[in-house]
Amino acid sequence: MAAQASFIGQKNKKEQVYTDPWHMMNEAARTPSFFTGSEVIKEAVRRASCDIMVAYPITPQSEAAALCGELFAEGYIGDYFRGESEFAVMSQCAGAAFGGARVFTTTAGPGTMRAMENFPMWAGARLPIQMIVTCRGINSPLSIQPDTLEIAYLMQTGMLVWHAETAQDFYDWILKGYMVSEEPDVHLPLALCCDGFFVTHTKDMVDLTPVDMCLPPYDPYRSPVPCMDMECPPVRMMRDPFVMKSNYISYATHASWQQEVWAAVERSRKHTIRWMDGLIDTENADADVIVVASGTAVSQSREAIAILEDEGIQVGLVKVKTLRPWPGEEIREATKHAKHIIVPEFNVIGWLAREVRSTVQNNERVHAGPHVCGGMTMPPEIIAAEIKTVLGVKAPSLAGRGG
Amino acid sequence: MSKERIQIAEELFDIMPAEYQDLVKRATYGNEQRGWKDIGNAKELIEEHSLCAGCPESMAFRYILASLPNPEDTVMVGSTGCTSLVFPHVAVHNIHSLFGNQNAIASGLKRALTVRFPDRHKDVVVLAGDGATVDIGLDMTLQAWFRQEKFTTICFDNELYANTGGQESGLMQKGFVAKMAPVGKTFEKVRLPEIARESGCHYVVNCTVSKPNLIEKVIKNAVHIAREIGPTYLQLYTPCILEIGKNSMEGLQEMRDSEKPTERFAYKEYVSEPAKELLAELAAKEKERKAEAKRQLAGQSA
Amino acid sequence: MTTSYRVMPGPEHFLPPSAASMGIRLPDPGQGSIHGTIVTEEEAMEQAARQLLSAKVPTIFPGPLVLWAWNEKAAKKAKAIRYLYETIKESVDSSQHAMLIPMPDYRPKYPKINPEIEINPNHPNLTIWHNKIDACIFVGVHCHQANLSLKIIRGGTNCYTIAMCAQAGHEDAMLSIRDTTADKLIRLAEWVKKLKGSVPPPV
Repeated sequence: MAAQASFIGQKNKKEQVYTDPWHMMNEAARTPSFFTGSEVIKEAVRRASCDIMVAYPITPQSEAAALCGELFAEGYIGDYFRGESEFAVMSQCAGAAFGGARVFTTTAGPGTMRAMENFPMWAGARLPIQMIVTCRGINSPLSIQPDTLEIAYLMQTGMLVWHAETAQDFYDWILKGYMVSEEPDVHLPLALCCDGFFVTHTKDMVDLTPVDMCLPPYDPYRSPVPCMDMECPPVRMMRDPFVMKSNYISYATHASWQQEVWAAVERSRKHTIRWMDGLIDTENADADVIVVASGTAVSQSREAIAILEDEGIQVGLVKVKTLRPWPGEEIREATKHAKHIIVPEFNVIGWLAREVRSTVQNNERVHAGPHVCGGMTMPPEIIAAEIKTVLGVKAPSLAGRGG
Repeated sequence: MSKERIQIAEELFDIMPAEYQDLVKRATYGNEQRGWKDIGNAKELIEEHSLCAGCPESMAFRYILASLPNPEDTVMVGSTGCTSLVFPHVAVHNIHSLFGNQNAIASGLKRALTVRFPDRHKDVVVLAGDGATVDIGLDMTLQAWFRQEKFTTICFDNELYANTGGQESGLMQKGFVAKMAPVGKTFEKVRLPEIARESGCHYVVNCTVSKPNLIEKVIKNAVHIAREIGPTYLQLYTPCILEIGKNSMEGLQEMRDSEKPTERFAYKEYVSEPAKELLAELAAKEKERKAEAKRQLAGQSA
Repeated sequence: MTTSYRVMPGPEHFLPPSAASMGIRLPDPGQGSIHGTIVTEEEAMEQAARQLLSAKVPTIFPGPLVLWAWNEKAAKKAKAIRYLYETIKESVDSSQHAMLIPMPDYRPKYPKINPEIEINPNHPNLTIWHNKIDACIFVGVHCHQANLSLKIIRGGTNCYTIAMCAQAGHEDAMLSIRDTTADKLIRLAEWVKKLKGSVPPPV
């Protein structure tokens, strides 16, 4: 951190003070503010000392990319432009990151899928780009409503994948995300996901850090791979060469490279635990029934748990904050006494339940559901009903709701 | 990077392989007069390659690397193909990421370098094959030009997909029989030079690499114009001798045959008005430099 | 995560796992690690010196970050590395052969590298085998490429690997020191001097 430390206390051109990130995030006074999720993204980026932001219109899913344009016009971002497609945008982000910039972008749904070829490339090239994913439906017919299916794909790319529940999570994690993903032993891209619309379009109270404080700039010379700016060795350097063309045990190089990407995901645990106070949060983990959820399914589950508590049924909650790294050990520990593990999700396939099933012992305890998708809401009552069904308690039918 | 920073640590100089000792002692980083005539005299920036014997692409690579006006502050961007077998051995930082996204990578890269080094020239040069430039990457090729991104795009046009074994490409000639064109290509060679002009490029050249002095001139023009004004495009014929059934010794003749006045690689050039002014300024400066050198020489001998 | 996995000299496996995936964690500032166990930096220094003194062919592999004088720190480290090498050379007996072999870059070379004069992260085992290197130090290699090399070496050779890392250290090395400066390299040389004669040479 020596190079970064040298910036602390100095001012940027907007008179913001480069501040020790731990102080800024954990000790500096916070101001409660009433914002939409998209506005929260803008406020976090304002304090993130970003060099480059590349935008593509993903409105109506999120206005964040356009709002960051305002930040550029105000002078808070080094450069900003609209790319021609998500595939191009993610490559433009890669180019900027190869050149040693701190990079920010956003995407959603079909755009995530169009850009997908870039993500394993980002991870393999160890580019610590931050990408906000405001999840929405990806299959035909078109949907602009929240649906978390795209996260299932992102989880296999080698990127860090975090899933925010609230606008407050989003605000804090954007800033903390850079601190984790830029660590030299991690140095991976971060997909910071939320359930679009629910988080991006609703207004919420968010405690903001002081506007005159910002993160220290990114130092590309701490990178685990050479920065492509002709300022650092080796001078004869391609990012990244086809190692399979090397004639000796070449496949071992590629295999080791892949392992190294996932090793870096593992190394992020230590930093993530420190910055985010653990990979999961738990409430009432002694209960016989535990809900394991991520994103806004956590909020809905909390409501369901309150409903059941009124009826005398105790249910615990595990909020999964990071999907990569996967908090396997934490979930095993938090659910070890549970007789039933309920996994409600905003997608049709139940990817979180699959992950939990492969994590816990006696995985017949895992009940995948309830599931909603395509933009449906998940009323707390259906989670409560699912839990009652699992417990063998009679629950009223909810089929007529909304009629 | 200043030439002074491309230096091996004194205490470890003796253990470095000879190619690197040579590179710091005899390469032409920082020499404003560098050009194709240094080939054979100075240490070249390309160390080795695994292209086919006699491949015109290898000649093109050597001429281009010898002619870059500012290699110590140039970052190159490649794409998937034969060129990516050469790039690991080039003593200029360079990037390969995906097939066809080279002009998107270069857009982000150039902007990052401009933000990070606002007071210095950092040149970005894209070098990719015709499949990458015109087929899979056409969108990003054109969009970078529309946005007036300030870098040079070089297309090594060998009129087919060489690295994957000779499939049809958009720059292939009509009627040519190839893999995926089993009855001959049914549509005309894409006219990218004209499209480049209409898309906002300030300097466009279509030629072969048969003449190193010509390549030196167009590379220098393209990089200087991109640095000061906007996007530039060079389409260079580098025939794939393997896929068109020629021998190692026949690449040069193939290029000479194809650059005759009525042929598809007859020299064509477009220069925008602002680019013309810049080239005139540069020519005037060069003339002044030569006159000054002459005066000094005369003074010395007097 | 508690783990019984230990990062030991190989040959370990056709494709050994990354140590991180086996639950090995990196040391914090002021610490080092030996076989994946966190120790004090001083313990790691001492053990590194012992490994070098007891090896038949103790070797330093300086990488691009120190081979090139691209800033003052790098130039200082290069000096310290030379001093460490000379110290090892003076401290071993005639049956031992200290070496200093660069990793000048990371490119896949055609058709192969010359294992007598360089090491390459795509096939570092060639240099280890050719020179019969049984203990080595990585220093000044970018972390990603260092990890590739360390893992391939662990997979296919019996070489004891030591990483003198300028950043957070390397769990794929058998012994790792982090935040390496020129001063730390000199401290390691002092340990070698101090232990000279007290460590039995290889049989």
